[in-house]
Amino acid sequence: MTTLNPVAHHTAPRNRMLNVVRLQFLNRQTFLWVPALILGGSWALSMLIFWIVGGAGQTGVKAGGGAQAPLWYFLALGIQAMTMTFPFSQAMSLTRKEFYLGSLAAAAVSGLGMSVVFVLLGLLEQATGGYGFNAYFSYLEWVWMAGPLAAFLTYFALTMFFFVVGFWFATIFKRFGAVGLASSLLGTGAVLVAVVALVTFRQAWPAVAQWFMATGSLGLTLWGLALTTVLAIGSYLTLRRMPV
Amino acid sequence: MSAVIEVRDLTKSYKDAVALDGISFDIEQNAIYGLLGRNGAGKTTAMSILTAQNLPSSGQVKVFGENPYENPKVLSRMCFVRESQKYPDDATARHAFAAARLFFPNWDQGLADELIDDFQLPLKRTIKKLSRGQLSAVGVIIGLASRAEITFFDEPYLGLDAVARQTFYDRLLADYAEHPRTILLSSHLIDEVSNLIERVLLIDAGRIIMDQSAEDARAMATNVVGDAAAIDRAVGGREVIHRESLGRVASVTFLGHLDNAERSVLAAEGLELAPVSLQQLIVRLTQQRSAGAPHVAPAAPEGSLR
Amino acid sequence: MIEDGKPLFVQIAEQVEDLIVDGTVAEEARAPSTNELATFYRINPATAAKGINMLVSKGVLYKRRGVGMFVAPGARELLLKERRNDFALRYVQPLLAEARRIGLGPEDVADLVRAGEATAVPATAAPIDQPDRRTP
Repeated sequence: MTTLNPVAHHTAPRNRMLNVVRLQFLNRQTFLWVPALILGGSWALSMLIFWIVGGAGQTGVKAGGGAQAPLWYFLALGIQAMTMTFPFSQAMSLTRKEFYLGSLAAAAVSGLGMSVVFVLLGLLEQATGGYGFNAYFSYLEWVWMAGPLAAFLTYFALTMFFFVVGFWFATIFKRFGAVGLASSLLGTGAVLVAVVALVTFRQAWPAVAQWFMATGSLGLTLWGLALTTVLAIGSYLTLRRMPV
Repeated sequence: MSAVIEVRDLTKSYKDAVALDGISFDIEQNAIYGLLGRNGAGKTTAMSILTAQNLPSSGQVKVFGENPYENPKVLSRMCFVRESQKYPDDATARHAFAAARLFFPNWDQGLADELIDDFQLPLKRTIKKLSRGQLSAVGVIIGLASRAEITFFDEPYLGLDAVARQTFYDRLLADYAEHPRTILLSSHLIDEVSNLIERVLLIDAGRIIMDQSAEDARAMATNVVGDAAAIDRAVGGREVIHRESLGRVASVTFLGHLDNAERSVLAAEGLELAPVSLQQLIVRLTQQRSAGAPHVAPAAPEGSLR
Repeated sequence: MIEDGKPLFVQIAEQVEDLIVDGTVAEEARAPSTNELATFYRINPATAAKGINMLVSKGVLYKRRGVGMFVAPGARELLLKERRNDFALRYVQPLLAEARRIGLGPEDVADLVRAGEATAVPATAAPIDQPDRRTP
């Protein structure tokens, strides 16, 4: 005859959120190898360009925007976490909250790793005078103004910002369709234009520039983190009641 | 027996359609339920709401006595295998099973390995590149090996050939016998599942039109073939759910059973009696309802109850 | 194996009875379990259990706590008696009805039965290795 099912969980199993981090890292490619490849690739490419420029007789400081390439991948990562991993997470009987916090944590782990490499490269560049030929990939003066820790925080804040933006827009697209996404993008654009117009009409550009200078990279990073937090909450509220 | 799922007046409406129209039912513990009905009848919507993947417009859903929405205590005891489940683009079947192992407390890796063998599932290919049948096999394996206390299978067999489907049914039954649990199986292939299920929930146009044991459902109707006039006398006041005729010969399906005396009378009149299979019964009942409600949209092309 | 609208659990019970009648399962021997029947006939275990319970209340099987179902002493005799009682209704009546329809009298039928017996292959117990082999 049949036996009664012995399993009866009366409490939620722990560590489910932690397991979401493991879930995101199951395929190491997504959160580990691809960002590492992009970082390594953009570094190598930047160096090649600097070397060519140096060969052309340029001896001054050579710096470029190559370090931002991995940041764009975090935008893609945010989109991917939403469009592909979210439906699968539902098949794994996860709550939206568990999935969302776990995914943010996974992005944070990846972003932290990326930021550590970024700072280590910067320190190396600082110590060797730009690999001996004045070439700077990470050590960008403005970012490093407040020291390596601040540079680390800035880079990390940017990875999270891009991830959350990607995640939220993907959520909006899945929940409200192309029209919803277009409206939110246009809305965001309209707000930015309005801000620019306001500043222009009030002839406040010098004041704005002054504020940016006074706030500095660390201050801006902190503002950025605050903005990211707001976006993250908005993103969660959009996800919370979304059907699969 | 106790109810693990209680649904009361559940309604789900969209802008232009009502998917579920105030349905109520209970699901008892440790039984296999057949959730049957045509495409678009509301089966997937109902299962999505029970597993908190979708939200009701109104009404109440309780699973293990609680609201399942954002409730890890309840969700961790359930598994929902969707017909159109999506997997991450770069995931292989191996990744999917490794994930399932993380989240289903009763996961049985040994059973999963046997099933992988049964279905000859390639583990290293990305799921995106699997055939439709292999994709279904991934879901079936997760559903069986998770041994969740409540498991939902929503048309889990798409693309599986007859042999693979039989493997699924056999494995389901054998594992269920060893590890009783609650299973909701939605299916078009009623003949194939009719002996597996203990209870039938028939859903049509967002309403439950049958909720009873499979045994009772099979005995619900009778078919009689023969002289039309003789049949009319025999059927009497019983509700006729289907009638076809060829000249003076008619084939009539009616609700209700005949006792032995009535049977001998019919036999003496030369009428032939035949049992009505669950599939036939369901086809007749849903046809009858559509005919009675002509405003109901015709089913999707593949929506016939085969 | 669905026949004549007979409930599935009744058919399962009959299958087990067949095993007892033809001696495949002796008295005091263990009868097939619910799960064995369910997986073999590909039916829901609850249906199989219903069939088994029917045999218990009939006195054909009895339960040994923690071990399983066993064939009751005297079960075979009980079943044989029941089947002999049913024989006329289940087999002879339909036979005579068809005979009448095609103009054969009871004597003709009896002759045919005797002739059939003379040429018949010795009767063996119907094996139950095939769910749908059984014919009434």
